[in-house]
Amino acid sequence: MWFFLVSDALTFGGLLVSYGFIRHKYVDVWPKAENVFTHFPFVEQHLPLAYVGLMTFILIMSSVTMVLAVEAGHRNDKKKVIVWMFWTIVGGATFVGSQAWEWFHFIVGTETGALRHVWSQELGTYVEQTVYGANMVVNEYGVPQFANYFFFITGFHGFHVFSGVVINFIIFLNVIKGTYERRGHYEMVEKVGLYWHFVDLVWVFVFTFFYLL
Amino acid sequence: MSEFHDDYPSYEHMAHHSEEDGKKARRTLWNVFWIMLAITVFELVIGSMAPSRGWSGTMWLKVLFIGLTIAKAAAIVLWFMHLGHEVKFFKYVILAPYILFITYTIFIILVEGVYSGDPQNRTRVDPILIQQQLDLKAGHGHHDAAPEGSHSGEQHEETHH
Repeated sequence: MWFFLVSDALTFGGLLVSYGFIRHKYVDVWPKAENVFTHFPFVEQHLPLAYVGLMTFILIMSSVTMVLAVEAGHRNDKKKVIVWMFWTIVGGATFVGSQAWEWFHFIVGTETGALRHVWSQELGTYVEQTVYGANMVVNEYGVPQFANYFFFITGFHGFHVFSGVVINFIIFLNVIKGTYERRGHYEMVEKVGLYWHFVDLVWVFVFTFFYLL
Repeated sequence: MSEFHDDYPSYEHMAHHSEEDGKKARRTLWNVFWIMLAITVFELVIGSMAPSRGWSGTMWLKVLFIGLTIAKAAAIVLWFMHLGHEVKFFKYVILAPYILFITYTIFIILVEGVYSGDPQNRTRVDPILIQQQLDLKAGHGHHDAAPEGSHSGEQHEETHH
């Protein structure tokens, strides 16, 4: 598991570093996260960064419940392993849902939109038009490259979280069935735990580079 | 039947601990969690105060955020992923190549990024960027994307409101 994680960390490292390249290249026109991510569920006024803070809290929390499940496994405490793994899965699923929500608002954009030059295939030139939200071609908030990197890196991370939830769930079922109790140790719980912490680790960096800096 | 043996203890022998050890381990883990939570809250408070106080994009803010991020990352790797409890050799097998490689990549890519972002260098290769930049500089009524004041020569300077 460790060697897989190192290679995966290099992948994420490469993505974040290339993000850094584009970020430094377009330094004067890069959008600021506190102007982009201002929504919070069921709240009318704008709360910059509040929701992503909550998401981060949820993911760190689920990392703690995972490590507590591993610790319970060291004591062969099946009941506690089940409880903590259950909360880990809940936390992971909540995080994936939150990310979908965040994407939704980023894609839909604001009511006012912004004027941008967009390539027109018929005219063969750039045409000025109002764009709303962000996609792979236009971005209301700034250069399209921000949206490209945001979708790719948070998407790649979100897919890791999603696979983590699925793998956790499989191991969770095995714990309930008593597979590891019969085996005498909970090493599998520890292995998925490593993967899960790695996902949390990546998020710590994504959070800093996309939302704080 | 003879089995393969090295002097590395098997998982069954290493991975069990008693009730008291468990209590101690749990206390450590919760402490790590509270510290990480405090760091995250602190980052968010500073991050939300930054735009109104003109801290955005300053060097000390970047260093602070990156430093805190690395502190959090170290906490996760050392305690949650218990790399701190592994054998020394294994620790360095995991960490050394990664740190060496990624430090070099960060260095070279950021230097190149700054170079290619220089107006003199990007005109040749990236005509669309000019258009994007004119759009964003003009602002076109979008409250978020309209930077005030011109871009100073310093590379780390971001636009302020």
